[in-house]
Amino acid sequence: MIPRHPRVLIVEDEPDTLLVLRINLDAAGFVTSLAADGATALGRIEEERPDVVLLDLMLPVVDGWSVLADLRSRPAAPRVVVCSAKGSERDFAQAEEMGAAAYVTKPFVLEDVVAALWEALIRPAPAWEPNREPGLLPGWEG
Amino acid sequence: MRREPTVSERISREARVVGLRGFTSPSLEAVERRRMQLWILAAVLLVALSTGAVALSLLDAPFTGSANPGILRLAIVLLSIAFCVYAIEKELHLRRLARLLVDERVLTTALSNRLHEVSLLLEAGKAMNSVLELEVVLDVILRGALELLSGTSGSVMLLDNAELVAASVRGNDRARGRRVPLGEGIAGHVALTREPLLIEGPVTSEDFPGHEPREQTVESAMCAPLMHRGEVLGVLNVNADHGREFTEYDLRALSLFAEQAAGAIANARLYETELQHVAKLLELDRLKSEFVALVSHELRTPLTSILAAAETARRPELRDELDELIEIIVRQGRRLSTMVEDLLTAARLEKDATLPAVTDVDVAALVRLAARDFEVAGRPVVVVAPDEAVARGTPDSLRRVIDNLVDNAHKYGAPPVRVVVEPRGGSVLLSVIDAGPGVPEDKREWIFERFARMEDNRDDPGLGLGLPVVRGLVLACGGAIRVEDGAGGGAAFRVWLPVSERVGAGRQAT
Repeated sequence: MIPRHPRVLIVEDEPDTLLVLRINLDAAGFVTSLAADGATALGRIEEERPDVVLLDLMLPVVDGWSVLADLRSRPAAPRVVVCSAKGSERDFAQAEEMGAAAYVTKPFVLEDVVAALWEALIRPAPAWEPNREPGLLPGWEG
Repeated sequence: MRREPTVSERISREARVVGLRGFTSPSLEAVERRRMQLWILAAVLLVALSTGAVALSLLDAPFTGSANPGILRLAIVLLSIAFCVYAIEKELHLRRLARLLVDERVLTTALSNRLHEVSLLLEAGKAMNSVLELEVVLDVILRGALELLSGTSGSVMLLDNAELVAASVRGNDRARGRRVPLGEGIAGHVALTREPLLIEGPVTSEDFPGHEPREQTVESAMCAPLMHRGEVLGVLNVNADHGREFTEYDLRALSLFAEQAAGAIANARLYETELQHVAKLLELDRLKSEFVALVSHELRTPLTSILAAAETARRPELRDELDELIEIIVRQGRRLSTMVEDLLTAARLEKDATLPAVTDVDVAALVRLAARDFEVAGRPVVVVAPDEAVARGTPDSLRRVIDNLVDNAHKYGAPPVRVVVEPRGGSVLLSVIDAGPGVPEDKREWIFERFARMEDNRDDPGLGLGLPVVRGLVLACGGAIRVEDGAGGGAAFRVWLPVSERVGAGRQAT
């Protein structure tokens, strides 16, 4: 059951992009909350239990990959749409493998972001894998 | 000039004289046999003649009428003398032949020994040149030298800043890594004089100042310099004990060997230098690829904000946000433009580190202008400057220097950020001082390098070109830059800019 006004957490370290995303997602009927780094994002997910997370990958303190890995180890985690300037096939494959529902590359068209968020909400929640240890996932070698 | 006949020519001539014609070079045994034959013949003839003479004197009277006994005796005596002369002459030739044959045998032996050595030398040469890693080359050299000269221990020492270092050692592990100053000890002496040295008997420190007495007894030792294209690369030491004593001949072999060895060492070094060079190029290539990835990412970030803001501004229902959206577009557009400018400046400075149209610029006025802009952007700057401070440069490049340094101070340091301008005789000193953590001693040169940021903190936004561009521009103006500790513990970037007519006379930072 998709809520009429789904709650979305926007995780983005560039304030201007964050602001524009908030304006647009508010207008598109989402209830928005914001985070500018990975650690804050994880805290707000725990607290507010958003329906979907719009996640940048290159973040200070805790990066987007770590957030994905952390969410994967939690039961009933929100669905995640990755939104990044990184756009290689390797990044797409890794994000999908780590449980991201969709991937939007920057610079983006706002309609695509909104569409990806709705689509992520329609999709079934990601399977929870309790035995996966966070921190032992691809992308850690560097 | 008449050619001296060779030993074999002389042998065949002598052989013809003594009647050993069937041989080009008769065996020593054949000569001895011929001598024996000659002696037997001489003995038989002498016995026969003496018997004849005795018989003549006994049968003297009854035959007086038939012949003159005096003439007969004389004939016998003459015959004996003639034969003796013949026998002696043949004997002399045979002796000479025997001596020549012995000589030839000695020469042949020596030749085959030499051949053996040359083939060993050749083998060793092939072995040393078939490998390229210096360590392996040195080991092959030492093994080859010990085999060639039947030595029991030895070492290869390489010259390193007026010191010889034992780089490869066999049979004497204590010597591994030993360092000997040039001119000291046997090795140091040889490296200095560039002459191979043969040492017989125990060595004292009187003979060679700085010589350390050895632990094990060495009865004979040789040391040859490793020379390549007139340059000493090191020395090759070979020692022997258990009754083996080296000769001048061995020393010559070692010198020949050392010549080849030096060539192999030079090759191996060239190879290692080349390898390092390739590794450096590969590293640079990797950094450049990473830099391209970073650039594309960093350019996309402001572009994302601009496009998203513009797209939002088009929606009539979001008109309330219009002012803020335009503000975003302008701000991010400027950021994009700064990045493009930095990229172009860095690329240009990499090609040509000079600025066109260097002129007199009032640094104090420029600083006040920059400070006002930073103030507007919410990043206040404290300015300490005289009314005027004129230095050489271009307004654009000096403005970029100030902007990048102040931006840097806000980004990596902490407020308050102070900009101080002081005229100092031949130069104008521009300081940008923050109250942050400062720059650690070991990174003060490195932070001005391109790609430095990528090796450090990958989370930082930006291209990491700010400081490299600053340094490039300052140098292009004929100035100098360095980072020091600020009075309050933060970082103090100090820029010396030259003053009119004395471009380049600015104090050089060291």
